Amino acid sequence: MTPGPARSYFEDVELHDAVETPAITLTAAHVGIYHGLTRELDADPAAVPDLLPLCVAVGLGWRTPRAPLAVLALLGLDWQPLRPLRAGDTVRSRSRIVARRPLRDGGVIVEEREVLDQRGEVVQRGRFTYLVGKRPKEVAA
Amino acid sequence: MADPRRYFDDIALGEEYESPGRTVTEADIVIFAGLSGDYNVLHTDAEFMKQSIFGERIAHGLLGLAIQAGLLTRATQAYATLAFVGLRWKFKGPIRIGDTIRLRAKVVAKKEAAKPDRGLVTLQRAVLNQRDEVVQEGETDLLVERRA
Repeated sequence: MTPGPARSYFEDVELHDAVETPAITLTAAHVGIYHGLTRELDADPAAVPDLLPLCVAVGLGWRTPRAPLAVLALLGLDWQPLRPLRAGDTVRSRSRIVARRPLRDGGVIVEEREVLDQRGEVVQRGRFTYLVGKRPKEVAA
Repeated sequence: MADPRRYFDDIALGEEYESPGRTVTEADIVIFAGLSGDYNVLHTDAEFMKQSIFGERIAHGLLGLAIQAGLLTRATQAYATLAFVGLRWKFKGPIRIGDTIRLRAKVVAKKEAAKPDRGLVTLQRAVLNQRDEVVQEGETDLLVERRA
């Protein structure tokens, strides 16, 4: 089997490891696609739906130099939108891992994540709980 | 024309809503991957996922969360919402391609806010699949306008 791209496994996860993503401009196209997908409509087509920055932040989390986490499942999420966003705002995300608990086949990690706008203000923040796989035997460290 | 939105004063503690169903398709997952940029193999690599505990691609947890937010708008008249301020959520099981999900929600708390023109409404929500299994559940806090 051809080895896949590098992934980080539960054993590789270190606490208090802050990572910042590249930024993305949220456009009217993002808002329109989100409305069509969810039917969570808004009379104001330039208002960014509250859950859209959260969804984009997770995608941005894959665009950092480090190998992506071998996430087996998303278990939980506590989230607080703090400020509304408009189409044209540019967001990036910052995260760090604040807890890790081993299980037989990997472990649970808790990640704090913030979404920042183009002025550097935190516009949303919260905590994700993930189940992360352990390193398979055939994959050398 | 009368304002059709429901204000803090109109919402009763214990009110319950149930939405219509919505079948989650492969297209939904592909569009959500493109929109969010989350191309995790869980959602995008059918061959890899054949070997996984799920046996197939599954929907992004956040796609399920976003769809249930839209389903609420089909379950009840819109609230006069000022802001969505908090979410406490658990992902209990996978949403598979072809699953039909619906939302069941209940008003479990109403609190006056510091400002007299608004109040905090807490909804307990459960996302159920076609087998009535709870695949996601949690609570959301909304700031809702009071009648002047």
